[in-house]
Order: sequence, then structure tokens, then C-alpha cells
Amino acid sequence: MSNAMESWSNEQVALVDLIDRVIGGGVVIAGDVVIGVAGVDLVYLGLQLVLAPAHEVEQSVAAGRRPA
Amino acid sequence: MLLYAVIPDNATAPDIPGLAGRRLEIIRAAGVAVIVEECSDRFSTTKHEAGAFAKIVCNLAISTSVLPVRFPTVLATRAAVLAQLQAQEKVWSQRLRDLSGLSEVVIRAQWPEAESDDPSITSGTSYLLSRAAVVQRQKTLVAEIRELICEWAREIKVLRSQQGIRLACLVADTDVPPLKGAILRWQEAADCRQAVVSGPWPPFSFAVDQEAMSP
Repeated sequence: MSNAMESWSNEQVALVDLIDRVIGGGVVIAGDVVIGVAGVDLVYLGLQLVLAPAHEVEQSVAAGRRPA
Repeated sequence: MLLYAVIPDNATAPDIPGLAGRRLEIIRAAGVAVIVEECSDRFSTTKHEAGAFAKIVCNLAISTSVLPVRFPTVLATRAAVLAQLQAQEKVWSQRLRDLSGLSEVVIRAQWPEAESDDPSITSGTSYLLSRAAVVQRQKTLVAEIRELICEWAREIKVLRSQQGIRLACLVADTDVPPLKGAILRWQEAADCRQAVVSGPWPPFSFAVDQEAMSP
């Protein structure tokens, strides 16, 4: 039998789940972002910044709502 | 400023360093406050930083109720942070009260069959039938686990999973051991069952009241 839960320790599973929730959960707040290349700031954006795992964005777009 | 978590306005800042090595600070408004740290514009957001951020928020949650802020959220000024606090004060203070004494656990459960290297999959049709069977098994497993933990879980969210199922559950701190015990007994009741329970953590998946946001 081949599966991820057998090859990973419980601690590794917990760490993966925790990091997934840190970037996929939590309160979403308006943010600022500076886009730069090679240390040079090119564009400053003051916007509603939503960082979410791609799969949640796909689900939200399909459902016609913002990512949770 | 890097934002860590929304907390009650009467909470105190813990004496621990943040990701940038600076002291954590509290910015307060009427009813709620937020833990922040001064940081540079170019903030590193690797897996290591995300893990360290999580540990800091977990430490914060030991002494007070928290609404974790999604990592990495950076606001340019204190005034911007204060404006957010004032705009969201009612919603956040209510959610803090709702989540007091509650934690999140994540349950992974799966069946033993290999899903991707089944030799019987030789055509597009057989692949689609195989995928439909997997989805049906996932639904059945979700329903089974929901039934198993409904006594303790206040809210449940089905998370995306590559294999098997993954459920985020909001439970009272005192209910974490019996929930873990129930999952362990479920797993031990049949050789083919596998399950892992992670947590308890601060309620990352439940910081926002989805029902309150629904139209």
C-alpha cells in the first residue's frame, strides 16, 4: 500500500496542515504590496490583497465569490 | 507592519520576538486590538517563515483568544492598521467572543487503495468512472467522520485533499482529547482505516464567520 500518511510522521503531517491553514485561513485584511525587480521598486499597489491557495481561489471563482 | 492576530483590547502583548526579530506590539481600538511587528517592505515568505509565524500565533493563543490574520498580511502604517481595526471592530469582537475557549483540529482520513496506479484504468472512460468512485468514497468518508465527531465539533469545514479527506473542526479545548480518542478508536476498528489528527491550534480556518458573510 502506497500513501502519504504512511510515509510521513504525524509531526510532518501536522506541520504541513498548520502551514496550509496559516496561508489559507485567518482574517483577510486590505494590504499593500510593492512589486520590484532586482531590488528596485517598480509598482506600489494599495489594494484588497487576498493570498490564498490556488485550489481555494479556483473553488471561489467557480462559486462566484471571494476566497475565504 | 506585519499583522499576527486580532485579540481582545484588554489583552497584553507577550514578551516574545517576531519574525523580523523585533518586539511584538499591540495597536488598540475600542473593543479589539491587533498584534503587529515592524518589518521591512520586502518580507520573506518562505515555508520556514510561515511555520515560525504559526508558532508565534500559537504562543499568543495560550494566554488570550485570537483571530489569526492570514500570513503574510502587511500594512504600511499604524494608521492603516488602526483604520482596519475601527472598520471591523464589531465583527471581530463578536467573533472573538464566539471563538473563546475553542480550538481547531485537522483530521485526515483515508482508505488504503492506491488511486493513481490502478492497472484497470486503461481508457478515458475507466479513468472517469474511477474518479467518480473516488469522489463517492470521499463523500461517504466525510459523512462517516462527521457523524463520529458531531458530539464535539461546533463547526466543520471540508478542506481540499490530494488523497482521502481533510476536515478542519472547531472544538472546545476540553473536547480535543475525546475527539482524538474517537478518531483513534475508529481507525483501530478496521485495518484498512487510517487517520491523523493535527492540532489543537488557534482557529485559523474559523477566524471569519462564513454565515455572517453570506448574503
